Amino acid sequence: MTSRATPSRFLRSVLQNGVGRYVCQLKRISIVFSKNAQSSLGLRDFIEEGVVDYAKKNPGTVVYVSPQSCRIPKIVAEYLNGNVREEIVTNKTSPQISELLTKLTTQSGLDIIRIRKPFHTDNPSIQGQWHPFTNRPPSIGPIRVQKQDTQ
Amino acid sequence: MVFLTLSCWIRNRGPDRYWKVQELLKHARHFRGRKNRCYSLAVRTVRKAFVYATKARKLKKRNMRTLWITRIAAASREHGMKYPALMHNLTKSSVQLNRRVISDLAVTEPRSFLSLAKLAQARKQEGFRVALGDGKEPPGVFSRVVLLQ
Repeated sequence: MTSRATPSRFLRSVLQNGVGRYVCQLKRISIVFSKNAQSSLGLRDFIEEGVVDYAKKNPGTVVYVSPQSCRIPKIVAEYLNGNVREEIVTNKTSPQISELLTKLTTQSGLDIIRIRKPFHTDNPSIQGQWHPFTNRPPSIGPIRVQKQDTQ
Repeated sequence: MVFLTLSCWIRNRGPDRYWKVQELLKHARHFRGRKNRCYSLAVRTVRKAFVYATKARKLKKRNMRTLWITRIAAASREHGMKYPALMHNLTKSSVQLNRRVISDLAVTEPRSFLSLAKLAQARKQEGFRVALGDGKEPPGVFSRVVLLQ
């Protein structure tokens, strides 16, 4: 796993989200589960109790609930920048699934790859970036070879 | 006559060779020459690359520290001080900034770095006065180290 071979990105927020209004980056959540299988038991409990509250708390996110005959229950999250994230929730309990949903809601849709630096500034220098003339204004004069008097 | 032994000699090899090969070649795609395409050449080079990556994690810390020290030394020489004098006097004045922060200040905030250099210079002069003087003079302002509890 070399850093050149694996993709990486810089830390950023999507269009300075949060500086003004905060826009939830999660566009759509599709819950795929089966009505009778044992693996989607926790998911069915979550749909009975928690899904409506979740949908009311996040009015900007559309929640689709689709019962199908499938072996593995999934939650598919789509973000405003087009990224799609699938989470497999077999044998998870209802509180675990609601924790997972809050994690997906608070994520921006950016790729989950190595972040090069844990910080980012648009204005790194306030007093002015150093350049060779910051401490050496031209009024001093050019640098001359020091003539030694002993010679 | 029915020939049955011929079909017993056919081997079923694994079905996944393509994907296993691609998993290794994806780490070699940015190499130069045939080692980014041919599996047997890529295996050796990718393993070497991983070994270099493991060793470099320690080297990166060392190299970054020497870079910071070089930058702080150059910046302090612009203000007439040398690196060891600057760092020693800053620690004596209980300025607990590490080399990374001081080098960033030297690059992006030159006036703050100038004030740090002047602070270190003043503390140095106070140290000389204490060492070379009589002991009758009061200790200097910057030598009073405040211990916050």
